[in-house]
Amino acid sequence: MDNSIIKITDLHFSYNGLKVLKGVTHSFEKNTLTAITGPSGKGKSTFLTTLNRLWEDVPGAALQGCVELKIAEKWRDVYASSMDIAALRRMVGMVFQIPNPLPMSIFRNMAFPLKLAGVKEKDQVQAKVQEALERAFLWDEVKDRLHSSALELSGGQQQRLCIARALILEPMVLLFDEPTSSLDYQAAGMIEDLLVSLKESCTVLMVSHYLDQVSRIADSRLELADGKLLLSNISR
Amino acid sequence: MSEKALKWTDRAVVVFAWSSAIILICALFLLIGSLLKNGWQTLGLDLIFGNAPPLDAILLKRRVFGGLFPAIAGTLLLVVLSVSLAVPIGVCAGVYMSEYASAGLRRILGLCFDILAGVPSIVVGLFGFSGAIILHRIFDGFRPCLAVSAASLAILVLPYLVRTTQTSMQGISPGLRITALALGASKMQNIVYVLLPRSMSGILSGIVLAIGRCAEDTAVIMLTGVVATAGVPGSLFGQYEALPFYIYYISSQYTDQAELMTGYGASIILLCVCLALFLIALGVRKGLSHQVFYRI
Ligand SMILES: Nc1ncnc2c1ncn2[C@@H]1O[C@H](COP(=O)(O)OP(=O)(O)OP(=O)(O)O)[C@@H](O)[C@H]1O
Ligand SMILES: [Mg+2]
Repeated sequence: MDNSIIKITDLHFSYNGLKVLKGVTHSFEKNTLTAITGPSGKGKSTFLTTLNRLWEDVPGAALQGCVELKIAEKWRDVYASSMDIAALRRMVGMVFQIPNPLPMSIFRNMAFPLKLAGVKEKDQVQAKVQEALERAFLWDEVKDRLHSSALELSGGQQQRLCIARALILEPMVLLFDEPTSSLDYQAAGMIEDLLVSLKESCTVLMVSHYLDQVSRIADSRLELADGKLLLSNISR
Repeated sequence: MSEKALKWTDRAVVVFAWSSAIILICALFLLIGSLLKNGWQTLGLDLIFGNAPPLDAILLKRRVFGGLFPAIAGTLLLVVLSVSLAVPIGVCAGVYMSEYASAGLRRILGLCFDILAGVPSIVVGLFGFSGAIILHRIFDGFRPCLAVSAASLAILVLPYLVRTTQTSMQGISPGLRITALALGASKMQNIVYVLLPRSMSGILSGIVLAIGRCAEDTAVIMLTGVVATAGVPGSLFGQYEALPFYIYYISSQYTDQAELMTGYGASIILLCVCLALFLIALGVRKGLSHQVFYRI
């Protein structure tokens, strides 16, 4: 049975004529963790943003090709005009290299995506916040200070908060752009465990610079070279 | 350059910077000092309320003659009216410039706003005056008044508000810009919940500038409805008094020394009014540090 959830066919991408992706074709399987590696400045971050259309505000950026997502057992074109971008970004969450909590309380940070989506019921918000924080292994550390500023958390805690914030929308796919590279060894280890645990409910794509990290947690590795994604082996 | 020469230029720059700062501060103290020296004797409740009892004057039970109260009230009203007229328009235009305008349009509109910022205030006053004349033809009995002045001053300060809003929004880091978008925010939600709160302190600086400009400008109001005696303005369509005009009027028409001194007194009061308005605006900016604006 076909178990894939993302299907990319002949994807080309350029910034003001600078070709970054030159014909990427690949399928990603459900509930796997795929690592994307490659030299700096070759388009790994760009590739991730083609999946949630986050590049679209960049002036001069252009995309060609097809990105499809299997939603409720049906393939849907991500770039179809009928696709609701906000809904797409709720299904395809993204976490960045530098933790980006908003300057408000931990609780408000967590509730923010729900408010954006129009979820109003207080009990429901409360329950979802707790559940997402638990899944991100952060609940025990913050349950007594939910209403203090998120900026007071440590870097690793902030990153787990950002992951929890993405999880609260129950995404099908989660994109991680070097999620541990601004963190120390121990904090990174926690995020790695978290990423592995996320496979149960999501499909995870992670850009990483660390081959040892890739060998610890990834199911497969793709190398981005010369604008194409090449399946590469993981040295264990 | 040799190391020694480098050291000397280094020192020269420091000395130059220091002396510039000191000259500036001296000029400020000289200005305030001369105002105080000439004006302090006139300061007192008489100067403001004439011979009317202060409480009665404030409650508008008694009209003030020979006091500055109507001019202070006129200036405050003028500032509040013109700033509340200009702020919504200016901020929205700034948001448009930063978030919606294409690069080409942004350049053209930016040039327009810069030109508008450079228009001398007397020209803006003349524009308001011609507007009043046109309105007079349509509505019989319409003449230059508080509303016309407020509208003209709003035009005068609009470019500052647009530009400060635009620059503080464009200065937001790309990382913060996409935070909410990645969580499924629409463009509008991103602006309202993240970008505007983040730019609030820049916008408030623009408002402070605008307040100062509205409080001190004389040329615009001279052509659009200010008069030497009108009492506290009763309506938007009445004539009014204002502090800067009073100062101008007294210093060009005084008959004796004592009258001129009240001009100095009025200057001190104008400075205090501006200071009070600034402090309020700064207090708002500080008290509502941008976290407060991130209410959703
Ligand atoms: N907003 C942008 N506008 C124009 N060019 C861009 C933009 N973002 C990225 N690029 C260019 O596209 C290329 C790929 O950038 P990208 O950020 O995707 O690389 P990366 O593989 O993620 O690099 P790194 O490992 O350093 O994060 C780079 O050459 C970069 O200069
Ligand atoms: Mg990158």
